[in-house]
Amino acid sequence: MRIIRKNIAFAIACVGLTGFQVSFGQTAAPERALLDKYCVTCHSDRAKTGGLTLQNIDVTNVPANAETWEKVIRKLSVGAMPPSGMPKPDAASTGALVSYLEASLDKSFATSPNPGHATLHRLNRTEYANSVRDLLALEVDPSTLLPPDDESYGFDNNADVLGVSPVLLERYVSASRKVSRLAVGDPTQDAVAQTFRTRPDLSQANRVEGMPLGTRGGLLMHYNFPLDGKYAIKVVLARNTVDVIRGLEEAHQLEILVDGARVFLASVGGTSDTEALVKNPAEARMMIESRLQAHVPVKAGPRSVAVTFLQKNAAEDDYILEPFLRTTLDPVNEAGLPHIDQVVIAGPYNATGPGDTPSRRKIFVCKPANASEEVGCAKKILSTLARGAYRRPITPADIETLLSFYQAGRNKGGSFDAGIERALRLILSSPEFVFRFERDPAAVPDGAPYKIDDLELASRLSFFLWSSIPDDELLDLAVAGKLSNPVTLDQQIRRMLADSRSQALATNFAAQWLYLRNLKNFAPDPNEFPDFDDNLRQSLLTETEMFFSSVVNENRNVLDLLNADYTFVNERLAKHYGIPDVYGPRFRRVTLTDDSRRGLLGQGSVLTVTSIATRTSPVLRGKWILTNILGTPPPAPPPNVPALKENNEGGKPMSVRERLEEHRKSPACASCHKVMDPLGFALENFDAIGQWRAKSEDGAAIDASGVLLDGSKVEGPATLRAALMARPNVFVTTLTEKLMTYALGRGVDYQDMPEIRAIIAHAAADHYKFSDLISGIVKSPEFRMKIKTPADAPPVKTASLLDGSQSHNR
Amino acid sequence: MTFVTKKHLSRRAMLRGLGGAAISLPLLDSMVPALTAQTKTAASVTPRLGCIYVPHGAVMDKWTPIGTGADFEFGPILSALSKHRENVIVLSNLCHHMAEALGDGGADHSRATATWLNGTHAKKTEGEDVRAGTTIDQMAAAKIGQSTRFPSLELATEDMTGLIGACDVGYSCAYMNTISWSNPTTPLPMEINPRVVFERLFGEGGTVPERLARMDEDQSILDQITGSVPRLQKGLGAKDRTRMNEYLENIREIERRLQIAEKSAGSEVSMPSAPVGVPDSYEEHVGLMYDMMALAFQSDATRVFTFMMARELSQRSYPQVGVPDPHHATSHHQDNPEKLAKLVKIQNYHLTLFAKFLDKLKATPDGDGNLLDHTTLVYGSCLSNSNIHNHNPLPTLLAGGGAGTLKGGRHLKYPENTPMSNLLLTVLNKIGVPAERVGDSTSGLTDV
Repeated sequence: MRIIRKNIAFAIACVGLTGFQVSFGQTAAPERALLDKYCVTCHSDRAKTGGLTLQNIDVTNVPANAETWEKVIRKLSVGAMPPSGMPKPDAASTGALVSYLEASLDKSFATSPNPGHATLHRLNRTEYANSVRDLLALEVDPSTLLPPDDESYGFDNNADVLGVSPVLLERYVSASRKVSRLAVGDPTQDAVAQTFRTRPDLSQANRVEGMPLGTRGGLLMHYNFPLDGKYAIKVVLARNTVDVIRGLEEAHQLEILVDGARVFLASVGGTSDTEALVKNPAEARMMIESRLQAHVPVKAGPRSVAVTFLQKNAAEDDYILEPFLRTTLDPVNEAGLPHIDQVVIAGPYNATGPGDTPSRRKIFVCKPANASEEVGCAKKILSTLARGAYRRPITPADIETLLSFYQAGRNKGGSFDAGIERALRLILSSPEFVFRFERDPAAVPDGAPYKIDDLELASRLSFFLWSSIPDDELLDLAVAGKLSNPVTLDQQIRRMLADSRSQALATNFAAQWLYLRNLKNFAPDPNEFPDFDDNLRQSLLTETEMFFSSVVNENRNVLDLLNADYTFVNERLAKHYGIPDVYGPRFRRVTLTDDSRRGLLGQGSVLTVTSIATRTSPVLRGKWILTNILGTPPPAPPPNVPALKENNEGGKPMSVRERLEEHRKSPACASCHKVMDPLGFALENFDAIGQWRAKSEDGAAIDASGVLLDGSKVEGPATLRAALMARPNVFVTTLTEKLMTYALGRGVDYQDMPEIRAIIAHAAADHYKFSDLISGIVKSPEFRMKIKTPADAPPVKTASLLDGSQSHNR
Repeated sequence: MTFVTKKHLSRRAMLRGLGGAAISLPLLDSMVPALTAQTKTAASVTPRLGCIYVPHGAVMDKWTPIGTGADFEFGPILSALSKHRENVIVLSNLCHHMAEALGDGGADHSRATATWLNGTHAKKTEGEDVRAGTTIDQMAAAKIGQSTRFPSLELATEDMTGLIGACDVGYSCAYMNTISWSNPTTPLPMEINPRVVFERLFGEGGTVPERLARMDEDQSILDQITGSVPRLQKGLGAKDRTRMNEYLENIREIERRLQIAEKSAGSEVSMPSAPVGVPDSYEEHVGLMYDMMALAFQSDATRVFTFMMARELSQRSYPQVGVPDPHHATSHHQDNPEKLAKLVKIQNYHLTLFAKFLDKLKATPDGDGNLLDHTTLVYGSCLSNSNIHNHNPLPTLLAGGGAGTLKGGRHLKYPENTPMSNLLLTVLNKIGVPAERVGDSTSGLTDV
């Protein structure tokens, strides 16, 4: 209490709120006066606007109403309250109130830290695949093995919703069979076929990144050949909608390469094929495609398979007149260049053995020379695998169980390998692999917070930064009890961020935070955007992933995410952005000369996923910024709101701005839209696929002006960015919350805010370095501690500041 | 008795797909003929339900039989069913009013599939807030599907996810990608890959000893997991314990399925090896899917399925029957006789493939009769004239004996504008589901 009083005195002294007379005896305080003057008009016991009353809330005991005060802090920090049009206190007074509230809450947290709840975590699809990769040196496609995971609070690693169901467990059990067979190289595996498809809007006029020079278009695949043996690689060419293969007027050379070496070359097209197609398209197609198959011996293991065309000299009519960048725009066109539609890889046939694969090298750390060495070697192999998979030291009981499975497999399958495969199956289907167990120590009383042990910390750390299991170094440190040492911990964080596995922060964390995962589902109207093709879609994703990774790997100031003067482009993307002198499919770093393009808000990926198929959506863009940059997601719209009228519904065409103004006439709509829309309008110079434009869909000049919720006027992307940069703490808070949500696998709530503020205050001291945010999160009580729940306690309720509209992130 | 006719599943046809005569492919046609049919007493006849959807309506004057009652003649489309006349009831003048625009504008293709089996009007949305109605296959699954391993199967042949312009504007693709909804907000995805279906149903196939060995292996792993759970629960908090209990319950559910599978594996149905993937040829693909549905019925792995033989807006061409043109484009026939003739060919062809399925069910003994006797199949489309996108009258027929509840060999002509939902209700009641209403149904259908 004494401390709080001191703070009040401090606050008064600091900002000189002498204008507010303390005239209400004991309960009176400048905070109270400020609330009474500016807030209580609406937030009274009677009006309860927004479900909030501040009329009688005790400002002397802030922690008693921590949840309410955290909401107040948030609204004040972004300048959202009091709303525009209402009298506002000056910035200093607001700042003083916020400081007072934060200081009170933070003090209370420091004396009794609350790590919040933590639920038993199941590996999701991504984590499962990454763990298999790191355990067995085997890349698997998790979407073929496991059902999709539900997402909550914006991420699909939320422990509360990673439930279990019979179908799911069935798939884990069957996945364990598939993975262990493939990893060990079970010689009894059946032939399987996998089909790789190109998207119908993939342009194939130019060389694809990763293909040899002198090639054009096609498909580059990574495939695990399960055994040494013969494989069929079959190519299907793209057809137009009436089933005629495109682009066969001239002859073309189709090439198949395995690991860069040509295994097949065939000519397709030209006079005889064209004549056959004219005569009977269906028969000709079968005849032509029967020529486009290779039957080749391939050694087991992961290999790249490329199917492409040899680039012809332009003089030989490779290029016909193409008015648009997308080469597959016209669905009935049969002219132009042939395109690859799909490739089927089938096999193995006449398999000769498991071969020598990275997986086998990783698994078989010893090879028994004779029968008497088998059990000893099996023990060594299985204890290594189980330690990695279970993420803890192995006990004699573990070994005993695994050896019994080994023995059963050895007896039934008749080989050492078969025994290992069977035991590996058990490891992969074991709950100790599939779940991340954290056990309450017996000595801690119920309800008390305690520090998780080093092994549990190692797993939390690796699943946070790598979306995968810990490696040997982490496990060794944890076993030795050294990992929790703050110096060691920082060293490990830096090592892990520099490791290639931290790519998961871009492909898993950022891809969800920024909605990049939605890109694959985005298909703009080809009439409106005839240049948009899959090449651009892929490039947009790569750009933002590389950009985010650069902040991680170079340990940059996280504000660079909003403001950096560089980005990554290839030729396709450079064309899209109007950046000159960039050639070829390789991505490279470029310095931006156009101010509008700087940071995430200038990137086509973000601008595209916040648009609809035919036009931009200032509402979606505004909502995206509120949710992902400002951390104040708008509530879901009330039921029965009419959708924005589209122009084709009759009447005089109106601009999106006019239609939104119409929409805002309804007070129910206005309260949110007047906040959302101006943010979106500031980006109106970027069209629905992120290209710069001067005129909108209806031909009118773009009006990118607006007034933000804090009253600042903006016009265009650069001023919007400047307004966001003016409150760096707001963005850093949002990013930290998102990182923390992802790190903990739970929604972040008001009780976590003091810690988040502490992390940010610490990071602010050294330019908001990315690793400082990570280090702050890893060292937070939330990450390092747990509360012991009584065995018969009711399930913990989850609440969040970020509730509302998270489910739109799909 | 062979389970799958060699003609239907020609190995050569499949090999053509992958082109390599020297290569032996594991295929469904390696099904051994040593099938022992499921023997059941007459007292325990199990009703089964299958709903089969075809897109783009029908040329109604070529679909509708001439004459009514038992005295009728199939037209050029339904002639494919001549052999099964005594197991077929054609129902005329049924309509789905709820598939009409009702103020929502175009998009009849989406509403067709979304309405067909529930008689409800789909919510116009592209978002996650999709809403239609629980479909009758799912109502049936809740009642007759609970003692089988899979309450129901949902199958299709075309995956158009990710395709530009593959769905109606303003409507989520979910509406067109399925005809089955487990509740008004949950569309059930349909599986197109025969291999995935096969593995779900039968594991990885093989001979009886092979399968038993694998089940034994699964069993030993599940036993080990079950045994380890009490140890793992030590030191866990309340919530985590609950989760582990759920986990344990789910493991037991899998064990239950495994035991059901083991029972059928040892004695009744011999398994083929798994198909390699999605075959190239449409006929093979549809054939494989029908084979698996028959196999699933026979082994009592499920009693309910839905199957979309092609998707609305499908641009598939049918050169094998002389229609190299894309289906959807052709379906906007503008009364052009040439296009109409092509549509009749496609529609007749779809029924030819369906007739082969009926052949198979009929050839499979089940209890006191055969599978066809005990099955109710609803076949049809939820568009009528594809040129104008109306939903009245709908091409609809029933096939199978309905476990003694259906008397085939008839053409039933109802008054115009009779709700199709009345038939849906009737079907449910006949297979023993005591529903009172389905969608906009007004009563059951008499005479069926």
